[in-house]
Amino acid sequence: MKRRILLLAIVLIVFMMLPFFLSGFWIRLLTHTLMFCALASSLNIMAGFTGYAPFGNMLFFGVGSYSSALLMNYLGLPFFLTLPLAGLTAVLFSIFFGTMFLRLRGQYFALATTGAAEAMRHVVSNLDFAGGGQGMTVPYLQGSPAFINIYFYFVMLGMVIVVTSFVWWMSKSRLGYAFKAIRADEEAAGVMGIDTTRYKIIAWSFSALFTGMVGAVYAYWFSYIDPPTVFDIMWTVRMFVINLIGGIGTVFGPIIGAFLIETLSELVWSKFLYLHMGVLGVLIILVVMFMPDGIIRLVQKRKDALMPILQKMNILNDQREKR
Amino acid sequence: MLLQSMINGLFFGAIYAVMGIGFSLVWGVMKIINVAHGSFIMIGAYITYELFQRFGVDPFLSLPVTMTFMFFLGFVIQKYLLNRIVRGSIFITLTFTFGLQILLANVCLLIWKADFRSIRVPYARLGVEIGPVVMPSVRLGIFIAAMVLTFLFYLFLRKTKTGVAINATALNFEGAKTVGVDVMQIYAITYGVGAALAAAAGSLLIPVMSVNPFLGAQLVQRVFIVSVLGGLGSPLGALLGGLLLGLVETTSTVFISSSYQELVGFAVFLLVLIFRPQGLTGKRFF
Repeated sequence: MKRRILLLAIVLIVFMMLPFFLSGFWIRLLTHTLMFCALASSLNIMAGFTGYAPFGNMLFFGVGSYSSALLMNYLGLPFFLTLPLAGLTAVLFSIFFGTMFLRLRGQYFALATTGAAEAMRHVVSNLDFAGGGQGMTVPYLQGSPAFINIYFYFVMLGMVIVVTSFVWWMSKSRLGYAFKAIRADEEAAGVMGIDTTRYKIIAWSFSALFTGMVGAVYAYWFSYIDPPTVFDIMWTVRMFVINLIGGIGTVFGPIIGAFLIETLSELVWSKFLYLHMGVLGVLIILVVMFMPDGIIRLVQKRKDALMPILQKMNILNDQREKR
Repeated sequence: MLLQSMINGLFFGAIYAVMGIGFSLVWGVMKIINVAHGSFIMIGAYITYELFQRFGVDPFLSLPVTMTFMFFLGFVIQKYLLNRIVRGSIFITLTFTFGLQILLANVCLLIWKADFRSIRVPYARLGVEIGPVVMPSVRLGIFIAAMVLTFLFYLFLRKTKTGVAINATALNFEGAKTVGVDVMQIYAITYGVGAALAAAAGSLLIPVMSVNPFLGAQLVQRVFIVSVLGGLGSPLGALLGGLLLGLVETTSTVFISSSYQELVGFAVFLLVLIFRPQGLTGKRFF
């Protein structure tokens, strides 16, 4: 446990130092990857812990980015004030749709959420004050390019830290146990006195809160948003693939998955522009076929096989620590 | 105006129905949400396009070719890939078919580029007058072909041994296995039939609509709506759902702005899903 915290602290310090040694291209790539870490972790709260697949989670990304953009444009609010407000708007949407959809089970829920997100895309495309189908520009951050890169890097890093700490705390709390009980057997969880619908809505609202906030950061970062981009189902698909690769339902799985997928994706994209989507498709198929449990669990399984050896090493280490 | 748009609605509805039946079949029998259905439709459309451009084959005559090709492609995909994961969670198969969808869309993009393509049959200008409205003969032909396909599919499912085995597997997997049905083979056939119907819809679509590789993903959304409207896994339901969606979409443009056309479809979809998740016909299985 102690060693784990030490490791985390080292990783964190490395990430704090990194942008001061890297070029703009790498900082932006890392910021992008961190954004997917945060998005995938938010999805994980719902999909990984309660076992309900919200395939329409891009709804909250879009709602978050649009509410932040509208608040900045019309009320002139500073970005950091719109960030929590964007999250809250997404939460309101999740409660509204959650009360309707969360009586539905499994595949019906997954479909209903995509339907809601698509419907929302069409609604926003018809809202004239939000720019309609043309999209809208967002006031952009003033400063040198280097400053802007580092600024958004740290904002995204902050988002990842917040989401991951929340998931870590949740996985050990009563809330997390309730979610896992719903995933294991919803009827049994109900019989044990868990108000399943309420807990599912809670899980989805946390998922929405963080997804909406990341959406707000995205809007400020790219300073232009339009309905087909922010309500694109590819956001959710990437979140799912990242979770499946890293290990869905684990705290650090989405982060490992995001780094793997985004680095790989960037490599493929720069080398084979026209094959980009095809390679992603093949990758998705391979992951699903051969390691649907994710890397984290794969490593854990190997660890079980190596347990006797590891134990010996641990004992040696422990003795050294005692001395 | 209203009558004309209703006729048009029924026509598009018939194509939606053919799309929806294959999707609904795969979902009902195997619980696979087959997002790749969209790219199967596109492949069907492109094969018809090539046959027409290179050899002048009439789109209606190319139906058997596209359907056979897609049947075997679907059969192989299910037999060697999907059957390994089909008993897992819905979420795994859904992600798989999504991967397949973007892979096939990319293949189409490499071969046919992003241009819009359509074919214009020699008899495109001929029209048939039905009372006060004029129906282009191509559209009438497509409508009839769609209805015939639906009817043949219904007969296949009810009257043939394979069809009955598909029904049995959908109703009770273990039970079908016990009485000697090779369920995995039936799964592969089911997916093949679904793909063949998708290809048929593509062949029927291309004479009246310009297609490009990205259209597949949009069509899948319509297919979702159709199969939810009709109730999952019910061919009769998918027929009704398709006709209804076509009607609602086209007639709504008479009353409200056409930019809301797709929104109307989704609104109907959400309402049905919330208040009547078993679909309008209320049958979950065949």
